[in-house]
Amino acid sequence: MPHVLDLAECSRVSLDEIGGKARGLGRLLEQSLEVPPGFVVTTGAYREWMRANGFDGQIERLLARADGVTALQDVADDALRLLEGAELESSEIDVAYRRLPGGPSVPVAIRSSAIDEDAAGASFAGAQDTHLSITGHREVRRHIVRCWASLFTPAAISYRRRLGLDHRGHAMAVVVQRMVAAEAAGVMFSLDPLSGDPSQITVESTFGLGGALVSGDVTPDRFSVDKVTLEIRSRVISVKPFADRIVDGEVSRVELDSRRAEMSSLADDEVLALARVAKAAERQMDRAIDMEWALGPGPSGRRHLYLLQARPETVWSNTPRSTDPPETPRASTSSAMSRIAFGMRQNTNRHPETET
Amino acid sequence: MNTAVERRFPGPLEVPAPAGAEGWQSMYSPYLLFSEENAEWESSLFWYWDGMHRPDIEYPFDTIVHEAYMMSVSAVVSRIFAVPGDQAAASRVLNGRLYLADVPFAAEGESERRMPIFVRRAGHYFENWSQLNENWIAKLERLISDLTEIEIPELPTLEDDSVVLSGRGFSTGYVLLQAYDRLVQNIFLAYQYHFELLLLAYVAQMNLQDFVRATLRGLSQQTLAKLTSGVELRQFRPDEELKLLARKALDLGLGARLRAPAAPDTIIEQLRADAAGREWVAALDQAKDPWFYVSAGTGLFHNERAWIDDLSVPWAAITGYLDRLERGEIIDRPQGEILRERDHLTAEYRALLPTPEDQVAFDESLELARLVAPHLQDHNFYIEHRHHTIFWNKMRALADRVVAARLLDEQEDLFFLNRWEVGQVLFDTANSWAQTSPGRGRHWRSLVTRRREIMDALRADVPQPALGAVPKAIGGVMSAQFGITMETIDQWLAPQAERDNQLRGIAASGGVAEGPARIVLGSDEIGTVQDGDILVCPSTAPAWAPVFGKVRATVSDVGGVMCHAAILCREYGLPAVLGTGVATRHIRTGDLVRVDGNEGTVTLLARAGSH
Repeated sequence: MPHVLDLAECSRVSLDEIGGKARGLGRLLEQSLEVPPGFVVTTGAYREWMRANGFDGQIERLLARADGVTALQDVADDALRLLEGAELESSEIDVAYRRLPGGPSVPVAIRSSAIDEDAAGASFAGAQDTHLSITGHREVRRHIVRCWASLFTPAAISYRRRLGLDHRGHAMAVVVQRMVAAEAAGVMFSLDPLSGDPSQITVESTFGLGGALVSGDVTPDRFSVDKVTLEIRSRVISVKPFADRIVDGEVSRVELDSRRAEMSSLADDEVLALARVAKAAERQMDRAIDMEWALGPGPSGRRHLYLLQARPETVWSNTPRSTDPPETPRASTSSAMSRIAFGMRQNTNRHPETET
Repeated sequence: MNTAVERRFPGPLEVPAPAGAEGWQSMYSPYLLFSEENAEWESSLFWYWDGMHRPDIEYPFDTIVHEAYMMSVSAVVSRIFAVPGDQAAASRVLNGRLYLADVPFAAEGESERRMPIFVRRAGHYFENWSQLNENWIAKLERLISDLTEIEIPELPTLEDDSVVLSGRGFSTGYVLLQAYDRLVQNIFLAYQYHFELLLLAYVAQMNLQDFVRATLRGLSQQTLAKLTSGVELRQFRPDEELKLLARKALDLGLGARLRAPAAPDTIIEQLRADAAGREWVAALDQAKDPWFYVSAGTGLFHNERAWIDDLSVPWAAITGYLDRLERGEIIDRPQGEILRERDHLTAEYRALLPTPEDQVAFDESLELARLVAPHLQDHNFYIEHRHHTIFWNKMRALADRVVAARLLDEQEDLFFLNRWEVGQVLFDTANSWAQTSPGRGRHWRSLVTRRREIMDALRADVPQPALGAVPKAIGGVMSAQFGITMETIDQWLAPQAERDNQLRGIAASGGVAEGPARIVLGSDEIGTVQDGDILVCPSTAPAWAPVFGKVRATVSDVGGVMCHAAILCREYGLPAVLGTGVATRHIRTGDLVRVDGNEGTVTLLARAGSH
């Protein structure tokens, strides 16, 4: 098994090798949806590097300390120091990085792709590392190690404990993708995350990179789109006082003037294009999904649509949707009648107060 | 809504008579009036103006229609089907306008006690719906044929020999009195039938809405309506007949002759001169019965004429279709497309439902709603249009007899008397004829003269949209059909300034359109509508169908997602915002407005003359 795989090769590789994020991106590419070009560094690379440096035993001992009196944060700090102290040498990674379109020092985004992250039923959203606008093969390798080290943050350790997962069997894959300098970015759900209504696609969007939205630092614009008719059913445009942008190769928070802050971060046709993608991807994956996306420079201009992540939606849909015909009996008047009676009881008991 | 100011509408007895309309109460029967006797009970209820069905001032005679339907629908709810969670509705007239109120249950737990009775009774109707609907149509055909047969005789100076030779035994004066009694009985029975199936049809619709509210919350009302649309409705048939006549005229090369600058009857005479013309006139005559028995308005009022009475309305529509055919446009109602879209939407939403149980519930609710859908339109064609066209013509004939007896000056005068007074003036007619004695002509005339003044004064008055207490909740089948929601009530209570530039209503048909507003207060103003206008009206009537080919969007004071106008707008692909409560008073003809049928808003962009 090679230690580096192109994302386009990832749709069928086991989660254990490449993690959830890489496989989600592989599935998108399989559907001919656009994803920034990139590759994944497999868990095999991590395991071999850990073994070669003799880190497994040392980590074991550190974690054992955490069971006692030492605070998790101290353990995490020590683990990070330990891993960052060693160099990752890999010509495979350097070759894959240089092959990315955009030149030999193209800026990339480096994100962890954990083997239990993004799995249906346990969304571990945002608990692991993301490094943006990284340039040069040496820096790329250094940040891959930092992603690996994020396996031992206090949050990650306690998360695994809560789920009764063994630290030893654990590993981390890392996704490296060309950076999208987003004009607008956000998330979308193939259902209404508030009501669970499967007929409504929800798109949230802000100016610039999507990090401020995911972290909750900015209230995003919010759109609902009917999944069947593809009509925009509601639009809530929020005040977005700043945008995260790439300035001189660094992510920085840029203030927006009030006129700009109150504008919609998406045009209607962009909302609909996003909704179409969510609808198609949900159909392909046969389950409700959430996705991260960005509009940035690309073949179609300054606002080319890229998908950054797709994973099963975890709150409303722990079971795949059934498209099989129901086995329960055919519709009948008597069961319709009991439904009507039930509905009338509900309506009668519902006394919404007008004063709140 | 956190204001400490008490939210309520004026009490029914607090609203003064407009200047010049003093004594308006004398026009209506005492049971229709708010009274000191029932003041406490009446002011505890929430009364809303039924501008949807009764946009104009009530002619004293025309109250017969709402007397018949309010009595019928209330009995269906409270006494026949024992609908749980729903009440009877009370009706009153104030300043010439009809107000309705849901009557709350007297006893706690009444709704629950009714449940098993309702389930059994309504279940029987849904189970046997198709058969009962067929029976209903047969009953209506019989009722209409009874109505048609009611003879309105002229009173002869001397009875014909045949009266004696056949041994008939009663006078023509008696026949005249009997005719009126039969007419009254006939229209009351028509309204008994009107709600026999209709209320349950509303229940089936609400059931689908409840299901959707629980599972597919975000579904728009328009999309929901599309799931039950496309059934071949009798409602569209008259319009379809006009299209067929336009096509036939085109095929026969009669376009120019149909457009001759003359009255339709004159043109028809000219057409009879040759074979092609005769062929077309034969097709016209064929279509007339029953498809021209459609009112140019709602059918509910004596002064709305039907196509059969005045061919100018269908004629304008036929030549309009002819223009479009000559331009190569497709004028067919896209029936196949509507059904395809319906089936496509149904399959997609169904597949989105998470469990097989949900899918079965969806199927059941949809099946029931589709089962009842044709009746929602059929009842309207049979009763408001066919039946009432004949009824009003019989009443006009009765009026002619009173005029012939010199007790009134003109036919129209009769409708300024209420139904009990009409009985009196007819007795005066038959009796003074029999006794060869003078009747009370001066008395009747002075009543009518004063009432004309009162009606004019009332018409100039802006009605209160609602009276009495603000309800905690609105849940009745009737108010739901009228599009009255807590949101509309808030809108009515909102200060003037808040609603100046934007009106909110029910998003009844999707899309956005801008254009000049055209206020149409009644069917007699339909002719003023120009291509590209935004129709703004108290409520819309289905027989305005030809207008929907001209306007860009529709706005109404009263109406809901399932009212006839909403259905027509969706089928014609026009945005509609209905139930705004105030549009005809806040918008003026010529104002530039934007109608957003997705959001349910009407925005005033510029006042007439300023753009």
